[in-house]
Amino acid sequence: MALEVKGIVAGYTKEVPILNGVDLTAEDGLVTVILGPNGAGKSTLLKTIYGYLRPVQGTVRHNGTELVRLKPKDMLHEGIAYLIQGHSIFPRMSVEENLELGAWIFRGQKPRIDEALERVYKDFPRLKEKRRLAAGVLSGGEQRMLEIARLTMTRPRTLLLDEPSVGLMPRLVDEVYEQIAHLKEEGYTLLIVDQNVKKSIQIADYVYVLELGRNTRQGPKAEFEQRLESIIREWL
Amino acid sequence: MDPALLLEPTILAQILIQGLVRGAMYALMASGLSLIFGIMGVKNFSHGEMFMIGVYVMFFVTVVIGAPFPLGIAAAAVVLFFVGIVIERALIEPLRRRAGRDWLLDAFVLTIGIMVVLQNLALIVFGSRRRGITELIDGHLSIGENIVVSYERLMIVGVAAVVGVALFIFVRYSYAGKAMRATSQDPEAAQTLGIDISRVYTYAFGIGAALAGLAGALLISIFPAYPTVGFHPIIKSIAAVILGGLGNVQGAVAAGLLLGLIEGYTAFFMSAGWQSVMTAVLVILILIFKPAGLFSRRVERP
Repeated sequence: MALEVKGIVAGYTKEVPILNGVDLTAEDGLVTVILGPNGAGKSTLLKTIYGYLRPVQGTVRHNGTELVRLKPKDMLHEGIAYLIQGHSIFPRMSVEENLELGAWIFRGQKPRIDEALERVYKDFPRLKEKRRLAAGVLSGGEQRMLEIARLTMTRPRTLLLDEPSVGLMPRLVDEVYEQIAHLKEEGYTLLIVDQNVKKSIQIADYVYVLELGRNTRQGPKAEFEQRLESIIREWL
Repeated sequence: MDPALLLEPTILAQILIQGLVRGAMYALMASGLSLIFGIMGVKNFSHGEMFMIGVYVMFFVTVVIGAPFPLGIAAAAVVLFFVGIVIERALIEPLRRRAGRDWLLDAFVLTIGIMVVLQNLALIVFGSRRRGITELIDGHLSIGENIVVSYERLMIVGVAAVVGVALFIFVRYSYAGKAMRATSQDPEAAQTLGIDISRVYTYAFGIGAALAGLAGALLISIFPAYPTVGFHPIIKSIAAVILGGLGNVQGAVAAGLLLGLIEGYTAFFMSAGWQSVMTAVLVILILIFKPAGLFSRRVERP
């Protein structure tokens, strides 16, 4: 069992928890999608898993290791990578430098970094062509591609994606979801939060619904595809 | 003044060297200030006091202990590196940890406080007497008949150049340097990649302070040690940082050199009183016409 979240209570201040007891499991090699209205605590949940917030209660286990006491800088060592919401490339560094920093935890081991670069360039040939360019001059879609490629530099097991398609035009949204589907084929465990309910549910294996800091519903994709419309109407 | 002097090559060359020495100091100071600002967003107003401590360390090592001067320069850099680290860890880090968006403003006020405390501490401990060395190295180099350059000035420019190149290589190619650039461009993203940004901030502050200390040690014969010796260097290096573009270390170095040259020529052709006026005018013009600095370039898409 890859990533197990149990009874998480967390927030930015002790008095007002955003998460009020969340239980969730992202199974190995599957795509788990978290849906929910704005303010339900979806991003907060990812931040808590990645060690930005120390939960007041609850546990997070990844491959049997307890993560609650760890910090963000430890997470790649534990095999978890995190795509934060919004832009996260380093615009004034080259594409290749951006990728190298994805393997920061391998610093000092040049052969390992080169090997990772070669593998990622094979998966993303367009990045190889542009490797000397400043990442900031890439198109929006390419920047997102670079961010996703960078996540895979250390070959983590589990990827947390926060709004991977937000702010992109429709054609690029499709592209991003193709890349995510490809990540699944590669065997990554994915935990995704996205406002784009339709797209994210298409690639999902299992769906959780988060409302007011609690998970209220869950089930395999098939169940949700039919009830989707009524669920979304409730949030509106 | 005789306008013919404007075209006299030996005089121009002589002033060029004077300007380069000044410029080297501004460049060293400004690169440290810019590094700290670029990475942490902190405007370090106590940077002049790092310079001041550097001069005292130099005086202590070379005059009190009597060690050779290169040791004094190295000692100043090392001592200030640790002073910077201690200041960051003990004073700035707690502000950052307390978080909130206001920490930068808090840090700004804090560095003013550090400035005042260190100046007065120096006054209590060392008094207001100036302690300096008239000459680190004897002798001078004559080029042709009229150009005379002391070895000491050549050494100052040389050391500054070597340190500048080393800093460039460090920031550009080392793992730590890449982590610093990444942290300056997107700290949140850097953190997700496993970079310990808190350590990056601490080291950046230490390196910035070390550069100021080095500048102080190098220039002891021009700026002897006294409690407020850092005032002139900090004002000029702030100007250089603005001219070079906030947080642009290479820009700050270039602007520092440029400022030194402009001041050298101004002092000669107008009068010494005008050099600060020229600096201020330049800063105002840049802020009006090219607020991102002389060397700004856009790489980000809007």
